[in-house]
Amino acid sequence: MSGAALTGEEAPFPQREAARLGRMRRRRMQSLLGWGLCALGFGLLAFAMGWILLLVLLRGISALTPKVFLEVTQGTGGGLLNAIEGTLLIGAGSMLLAVPLGVAAGMYAAQFKHSWFASAIRFMADVLVGVPSIVLGYFGYITMVEGLGWQFSLAAACITIAILCLPYICRTTELALSQVPAAMQEAAFALGAGEGRVAWRIALPVAMPGILTGVLLAFAISVGETAPLIYTAGWSSYLWNGQLVRSPVGYLTYAIWAFINEPFASANALAYAAALLVTLIVLLISIAARLVLLRRQGAR
Amino acid sequence: MTPKIAIHGLDFYYGANHALKSITLDFPERQVSALIGPSGCGKSTLLRCLNRMYDLYPGQHATGEVMMDGMNVIGPGVDVDLLRSRVGMVFQKPTPFPMSIRENIAFGVRLHERPSRAEMEERVEWSLTRAALWDEVKDRLHTPATGLSGGQQQRLCIARTIAVRPEVILFDEPTSALDPISTLKVEELIDELKRDFTIAMVTHNMQQAARVADQVAFFYLGEMVEVASATTMFTAPREKRTQDYITGRFG
Ligand SMILES: Nc1ncnc2c1ncn2[C@@H]1O[C@H](COP(=O)(O)OP(=O)(O)OP(=O)(O)O)[C@@H](O)[C@H]1O
Ligand SMILES: [Mg+2]
Repeated sequence: MSGAALTGEEAPFPQREAARLGRMRRRRMQSLLGWGLCALGFGLLAFAMGWILLLVLLRGISALTPKVFLEVTQGTGGGLLNAIEGTLLIGAGSMLLAVPLGVAAGMYAAQFKHSWFASAIRFMADVLVGVPSIVLGYFGYITMVEGLGWQFSLAAACITIAILCLPYICRTTELALSQVPAAMQEAAFALGAGEGRVAWRIALPVAMPGILTGVLLAFAISVGETAPLIYTAGWSSYLWNGQLVRSPVGYLTYAIWAFINEPFASANALAYAAALLVTLIVLLISIAARLVLLRRQGAR
Repeated sequence: MTPKIAIHGLDFYYGANHALKSITLDFPERQVSALIGPSGCGKSTLLRCLNRMYDLYPGQHATGEVMMDGMNVIGPGVDVDLLRSRVGMVFQKPTPFPMSIRENIAFGVRLHERPSRAEMEERVEWSLTRAALWDEVKDRLHTPATGLSGGQQQRLCIARTIAVRPEVILFDEPTSALDPISTLKVEELIDELKRDFTIAMVTHNMQQAARVADQVAFFYLGEMVEVASATTMFTAPREKRTQDYITGRFG
């Protein structure tokens, strides 16, 4: 629709009208280009994800027998109960360590954002994110498995994974807290509330969905990690015996890593089943994180 | 009559920015004092001195005297949390906390007192009634405060402030984010509240200042140019700058 049609008059400035049309054509081209690139990117991602899911699903679903959930691994056959239990134990244990520490560090960094200690926290978190997980695994091996004599154990695995997750939890906590409206916090201070009260009763509840999302994503990371666990958890075909040290634990990603190249069909089937389980757990956690975020947006 | 708050030689700095220059001004007890002036002249800054809001930000500081009942509010050794329970503040944008309506009110009360359940219920009803909100929310006290309309949220913020039973209430453009009907309600409310509280209000609306205020102070570029009763201010201002401003010739 042109301006002339709107007012029912001749366009008063012909050159301007031409320039306007040119601008609109250019904008339409740019917009089209933008859309095209977006669609391409989305298509590639969806294709890759669809392929992975399909592959894992097709191979995994036939391997996913009740036996997988009911029996422990026996040599290259049996079930994955030991690995499922181990993965959940390592996930829960590492979160138990990483969540309080990470949230506390994030709260500190958000509250005293200009202090040198807060900058130090941020710097260390950024460095830690960049450290390859296998290096962390090696670190865990040297310090705990060998140095402290813990051998392959749940404790060494949990602490290593906790270190891995710590920066994610810390940074998402800080980010979520820094997005709490300053006006809301000022209003609480104006009533005579102290720093601690404002942090606990106002800022933390508002930031909670963001923090929870970070924790869930960290949990997903802990479920999907392999390299650091090979160095710290070892592998066990038995159920957990309640020992924190000197007793290796099984986990799903090991089953994928170790059994995929075995020449036995039973081992391959276990690997596919484990892959499907890990993918499903991570998918479920991601969906949960989405829901938490959506609920926050709904509440606003 | 002795003023509730007597400001003498108050200077305020945002770092190197000298935002208030040697202000001297009294706020009479149980009256509404309006602060007017063009944007950036320091009205909000003055309010934030009265409850030491600037303490939250390093680099901001005030010098001079803000006397309230014989105590220099901006001096050393003042219990700031206690001060803020005596000098409440209502902001331009409603800021309900992410809790129920009832909890919004209880939050402030619990900071300073340990009331029994019954006392708390009584306080909630009392403050909401005084904020002219009780009838609208009495059946949904446990629902989130974010579900209220903007005008209701602002009255909740007023209720939350008076529930702490302050002596002074600061309003920083309390109606500029509200529709005309909510504005009228808040104005009536302020008129009602001055029976018990000393009120300082920033406004950009001359009619509002004329309707609500007993005393009006005109600020310009960090200075207090002139203070007078509302009638005098809007009929016979002393200074040319004041006249230009209230007749809309600038600002
Ligand atoms: N946080 C800050 N840091 C630095 N300077 C500030 C800050 N806040 C305000 N100022 C400056 O102080 C002066 C007074 O600001 P103030 O907010 O008190 O004005 P105001 O009269 O309330 O204006 P408005 O009517 O727009 O709200 C302005 O020049 C402003 O730029
Ligand atoms: Mg202001």
